[in-house]
Amino acid sequence: MNIYDIVFYLFAAITVLSAFFVVTTRNIVYSAYYLLFTFFGVAGIYVLLGADFIAMVQLIVYVGGILILILFGVMLTNKITSVEIKTGSVQVVPAAVGVALLAGILMASMVDTKWRSVETAMPSATTQGIGMLLIQQYAIVFELLGILLLIALIGAASMARK
Amino acid sequence: MLNNFQEFYNIIPILLIGAGFLISLLIEMYFKKSDVILPWFTILIFLAAGFHALYAVNSVSVIFQNMLATGGIVNIFYIIFTFGAAIVALLSIDYIKKYGTYFGEYYILLQTSILGMMLMAGAKDLFMIFLGLELMSVSFYSLAGLNRKRLKANEASLKYFLLGAFATGFIVYGIALIYGTVHSTSIDMIASRFYELSSDKLFIAGILLFLIGFSFKIAAFPFHMWVPDVYEGSPTTIAGLFSTGGKAAAFSAIIVTLGVLFTGRIGNILMPYLAVISVLSMFYGSIVAISQDNIKRMLAYSSISHAGYLLIGLAAGNSFGVAGVIFYLASYTFMNLGAFGIVALIEGKDESNLTLKSFSGLASRYPLLAALFSIIMFSLAGIPPFAGFFGKYYVFIAAIKSNLTWLAILGVLSSVISVYFYLRIVVLMYFKDAETDLKIDVSKTGLAAVIISVLLVIIIGIAPGTIIDLIAFFFK
Repeated sequence: MNIYDIVFYLFAAITVLSAFFVVTTRNIVYSAYYLLFTFFGVAGIYVLLGADFIAMVQLIVYVGGILILILFGVMLTNKITSVEIKTGSVQVVPAAVGVALLAGILMASMVDTKWRSVETAMPSATTQGIGMLLIQQYAIVFELLGILLLIALIGAASMARK
Repeated sequence: MLNNFQEFYNIIPILLIGAGFLISLLIEMYFKKSDVILPWFTILIFLAAGFHALYAVNSVSVIFQNMLATGGIVNIFYIIFTFGAAIVALLSIDYIKKYGTYFGEYYILLQTSILGMMLMAGAKDLFMIFLGLELMSVSFYSLAGLNRKRLKANEASLKYFLLGAFATGFIVYGIALIYGTVHSTSIDMIASRFYELSSDKLFIAGILLFLIGFSFKIAAFPFHMWVPDVYEGSPTTIAGLFSTGGKAAAFSAIIVTLGVLFTGRIGNILMPYLAVISVLSMFYGSIVAISQDNIKRMLAYSSISHAGYLLIGLAAGNSFGVAGVIFYLASYTFMNLGAFGIVALIEGKDESNLTLKSFSGLASRYPLLAALFSIIMFSLAGIPPFAGFFGKYYVFIAAIKSNLTWLAILGVLSSVISVYFYLRIVVLMYFKDAETDLKIDVSKTGLAAVIISVLLVIIIGIAPGTIIDLIAFFFK
């Protein structure tokens, strides 16, 4: 157990625990704040993997942008802060079977796989490589992402119209 | 290496629809009469793309740095999507006014959903599968809830969105595991390493998660909860699109990604999973449909059982089965659009006339509608000589060829059960007296759309051999 492992498990624990609280807590504002820690933990794991660009995007877009939007949305919506969210469990038996099956498959494949362990190399900047890939190999993916965002906008606008 | 002109020629269908929806946005913004222009412009775009795909069916190529395939079965899927969507647009012209106020977004989102489907069918990379899926799904979520004032439409949209996003999560998880084991997102790489990796549990877990996600999208049994509510709440024409185009696109994604499994060159390791959910969907759909009183819910359960029949073709795991599935999808698309089209014609203001009661005695007042609906019901039940029969016939034969006779027998049993609820409507229309005072003004364009789909069902039923040979020629 070296320092790398300890940092990884720290971030993983932050992510999983706060995600758990996001869905179990009854106050919607608390939920939004717990979501902050989930995004932060994920960003930490990205840094640990040497994915500097994605980590920064995660911080700027999710932690900085989307979360603030959610909080403003919650706070500006009339009377929503005091609403007790109904959290309950229905269909416990089928859900338990489904979760057990999925967990079984994932655990079995996790134990069975021979994970490659490589020496951690000094991470290098990835931004230039991502930029080159986006306009060469993945040019069409890049274009289509633009269309996808446009459609999401149109859809959201048509839902919000009078 | 193809020259640039040839590359552009091959992807004209995608370019047409991509440009078409942007032009539609401008038409919607700048023309006062956009509610007259836009539907016809949409139909024109779909037909142009469809006929081009038909004409260029032989120009097989892979373009955009191994991202997108054209020609062959890809073009056959394009034809199914675009012609199906053209029928939906034709049906919508009058229906959407009856349903609520006119929204220009309707036709724009219709075009983008078809664009997403086409990208899924032509994908050569898991990125494209995911993007196409999202493009289709996001358009679908908004289309389902287009009429915000109706509570049921809100429920349909929200339910579809939440469960769809959940299913997409499964697919992305699966893609992550596949990428982790194959070290590539290219579908050709996955295909070439499939055999050596088929003992790797992590890879199989990825493939299973991927399939579970798509089982949501095709509405197979344990993942079907959203289907009846979404079909009931959405506009009827759009429910028709969900059950045909959406299902065909999800099947095309499974076929292009796991195509190597179904060529018969390596063993079909996913046979147990596919066979089990196929049997469950067939029987669940057929049995629950019997007790439905709302026609849209009945068609939703019928759509679940049809997903089961289609899965038989994939479980068979030979190229004949895949050809059968594509043939089935083509015939199912047109007969189901016809069925939803007639429901859309009969549906009155505020969701009235949707119970089975409205259909009793229909033949005496609207003989043409009753005759068309009977043909569609016979075809859905799988009675020869209509297209539905040959679809089922080809997938059952494929199952028998792979020594899965038990699966074919269960399929036949389930379609015998389904005959009951399909033919009950025919009996109601012809042999019962009218229970309600049904008055509808049949829209001309809607009727034309239904007639076209019924003609296509009959044509496919007359010449199934030519079509199946064409598909089998391209899928080797």
